[in-house]
Amino acid sequence: MIDHKIEKLLLKVQKPGRYVGGELNSVIKNKKDIEVRFAFCFPDIYEVGMSHLGMKILYSQLNEVPYVWCERVFAPWADMEEQMRQNHIPLYALESGDSLADFDIIGFTLQYEMSYTNLLNMLDMAGVPLKSSDRRSLSQLVVAGGPCACNPEPLADFVDLFFIGEGEEVDCEVVELYRDFKRKNGTKEDFLAAAAQISGVYVPSLYDVTYKEDGTIDTFQPRGNAPAVIHKRVMMDLDKSYFPDRFVVPYIEIVHDRAVSEVLRGCIRGCRFCQAGFIYRPFREKSIDAIDRQCRDLCENTGYDEISLSSLSTSDYSKINDLLDRLMAWTEDRKTGISLPSLRVDGFSNELMKKIKAIRRSGLTFAPEAGTQRLRDVINKNVTEEELLKTVNTAFGGGWTTIKLYFMIGLPTETLQDVEGIADLAQKVVDAYYNHPNKPRGKSVKVSISASSFVPKPFTPFQWEPQDTIETIHAKQRHLLSSIHSKKIEPSWHEADTSFMEAVFARGDRRLGAVLLEAHRRGMKMDGWQDFFSLQKWLEVFASCGIDPAFYANRKRSFDEHLPWDHIDYGVKKSFLMEECKRAYANKTTPNCREACSACGASCLKGGICVESR
Amino acid sequence: MKVVRIWFRKTGAARYISHLDLNRCMSRAMHKANIPLWYTQGFNPHAFLTFALPLPLGIRSERECMDLKLDDDVISREEMISRLNTALPKDLAVFDVTEPVRKPGQIATASYRILLEPENTSADELCSQIRDFFQAPEIVVPKHTKSGIIDFDLKPYLNQTSVSVKGDGVEMETLLPAGSNGNVNPMLILDALKKYLNLEPYADIERTGLYDNTGKIFE
Repeated sequence: MIDHKIEKLLLKVQKPGRYVGGELNSVIKNKKDIEVRFAFCFPDIYEVGMSHLGMKILYSQLNEVPYVWCERVFAPWADMEEQMRQNHIPLYALESGDSLADFDIIGFTLQYEMSYTNLLNMLDMAGVPLKSSDRRSLSQLVVAGGPCACNPEPLADFVDLFFIGEGEEVDCEVVELYRDFKRKNGTKEDFLAAAAQISGVYVPSLYDVTYKEDGTIDTFQPRGNAPAVIHKRVMMDLDKSYFPDRFVVPYIEIVHDRAVSEVLRGCIRGCRFCQAGFIYRPFREKSIDAIDRQCRDLCENTGYDEISLSSLSTSDYSKINDLLDRLMAWTEDRKTGISLPSLRVDGFSNELMKKIKAIRRSGLTFAPEAGTQRLRDVINKNVTEEELLKTVNTAFGGGWTTIKLYFMIGLPTETLQDVEGIADLAQKVVDAYYNHPNKPRGKSVKVSISASSFVPKPFTPFQWEPQDTIETIHAKQRHLLSSIHSKKIEPSWHEADTSFMEAVFARGDRRLGAVLLEAHRRGMKMDGWQDFFSLQKWLEVFASCGIDPAFYANRKRSFDEHLPWDHIDYGVKKSFLMEECKRAYANKTTPNCREACSACGASCLKGGICVESR
Repeated sequence: MKVVRIWFRKTGAARYISHLDLNRCMSRAMHKANIPLWYTQGFNPHAFLTFALPLPLGIRSERECMDLKLDDDVISREEMISRLNTALPKDLAVFDVTEPVRKPGQIATASYRILLEPENTSADELCSQIRDFFQAPEIVVPKHTKSGIIDFDLKPYLNQTSVSVKGDGVEMETLLPAGSNGNVNPMLILDALKKYLNLEPYADIERTGLYDNTGKIFE
């Protein structure tokens, strides 16, 4: 559905396949039958957005509703944006080619903080007013969901309505309410007031915030009937929860170009740095029957020859071996591979390894996260050096020679000794290879260590913690480098500059709206990409707004501070997070949900592992 | 094992799909359609797809082909066409399956039809402007080759090119060298219009046929 004006641009840009739509299984509807047009926007480029499972689920689900047409919109890369702006072509949806401005509902998924500038830029490219207060009519309603919506405050000026928690039901409820208001010519104001009554919906304009002199929040008050606390939505029965039987199959290669089955939601582990481990509680599994059926349908309808069994920790699936047996009964004949993206150090058994080996041999990645046992106890990683060495020995015995290890730098209580521990652990893995009696002959080992900088996130036991300053992170990175003495170890890290900004927006409040607006005014975008991110530019923006980013990133909060996201409830109690924080400082671990219930509060959601017998 | 030639159209959005992406898209469609492909016998078995002559990005075609190797239990031509079409996006449509007659290496020329939409002038004006321009002694444009960008004179290749008014637009029919022994992309004609006449009309380019060195159509 691309018009000639756009076509003229396509040969002037890289990868025009990003901008043309028309893929297998994309949904085209007749506008005459449609009452609600929904633009599902991913604030990053096509290849990244098209890899996202949540978008695939909600795209298919919304399109099952006869009166809704859900289309996809991605952020164009800079070359295409330049062409579009020069030629006055608004940002358009891939299915109809219509401008984003023509849509009833413009929905964004918030996967990472550094995409916030893209959200503004995408609205701007279609001439949609950025601030919700400047959008007066019911149409062009801007909504957002996804993990970053757990602290929606930095985007409160721009987004009319947030979905808190899992979207499968609440998205449809809001769309239905929207249709009712559109039919009766209702106002945006009345619609938002009504929508705020739906569980899992947060309308930021219905709340007033005041601040203390020290800059922290004093009061946070709902107006009218808006709820004081917004509870997340959760899909308790994954077998009954909607899952698409087909994906849009892109022409061009995307980041994760395969069929994906979500085998479980939530995580039993409770690693103290991990937001996903808390906000997706309780742990729920999909049945083998449902996974098997969904994988068959997806492969049948897409032609993919690879299935990814996705989750926060796939080796925690209680019947993982049975599941693989069931799938491999048909995938081998169909020349279809299975990949397990999230394996735990302690979940890599000999049996599992043999199965993975039979399927496809790629590198193995594990995440010990910290270099010493003390620090692993602090973060509740519950993985020992012994387990890691046992696992890599299993892998070496099975013929693997490449191991990738993920670590974090800047965790609470971390010392230079802990940093050295990363290099020591990697060295022990290298040594284990050379001491292995059955190591692959004539091959060398490669141990990649990737060290990202710790970003404290809301709804974790570390939500009160300061982030290390960029200088400290750099010093620790240098120390790590000087501690590595083997050429078999290949270190790499994420830029500390980006992590700093991520930390600011992750725990930001409404005052950051002005910062985002100014950043957008200065043309900033694609901040998740190193080609575009500039700390210098961000610092200038903060300075011009009179806001100190260190207040958000590097400040230790007290337990009694009113946090910007305190009105959002993910089931896990704040008091539990405080207890966990104290246990971290005491080097005490907490058992996982399968071993014992630690009374985090998620049982109030009445489902999953919280109600199963252990 | 049997080699068959699959004939398909590449239109609409599919015009903007690179050859590499087309290759992957077709492999996936074979898999989805359960076509009994012959796989290489190596450690990482893969199917064998060969395209006669990759279509440059942005050009559509009503008659593209690729060869593939089937396992012995061959399915019928009709069955194969219908299965593939349910597995492919609508802008890639299979319309025939044949036994290969000529080898892709025999391709020597390709014909193209270029429809230009005039922007600020009439079709008549644009047509005569282009006709005059084609009388120039040389028409030099930059051309990407394996050894980098070179200055390339298009003029000697334009002797089988006609320009005429068609409705509101201008139609060019041209026959250009194609294949492994020298290939001239019709986009170069558009590059020349831009360089010499500062014209950048919307152009719909279709490859209308492939021929061997005696002018016989490739089949």
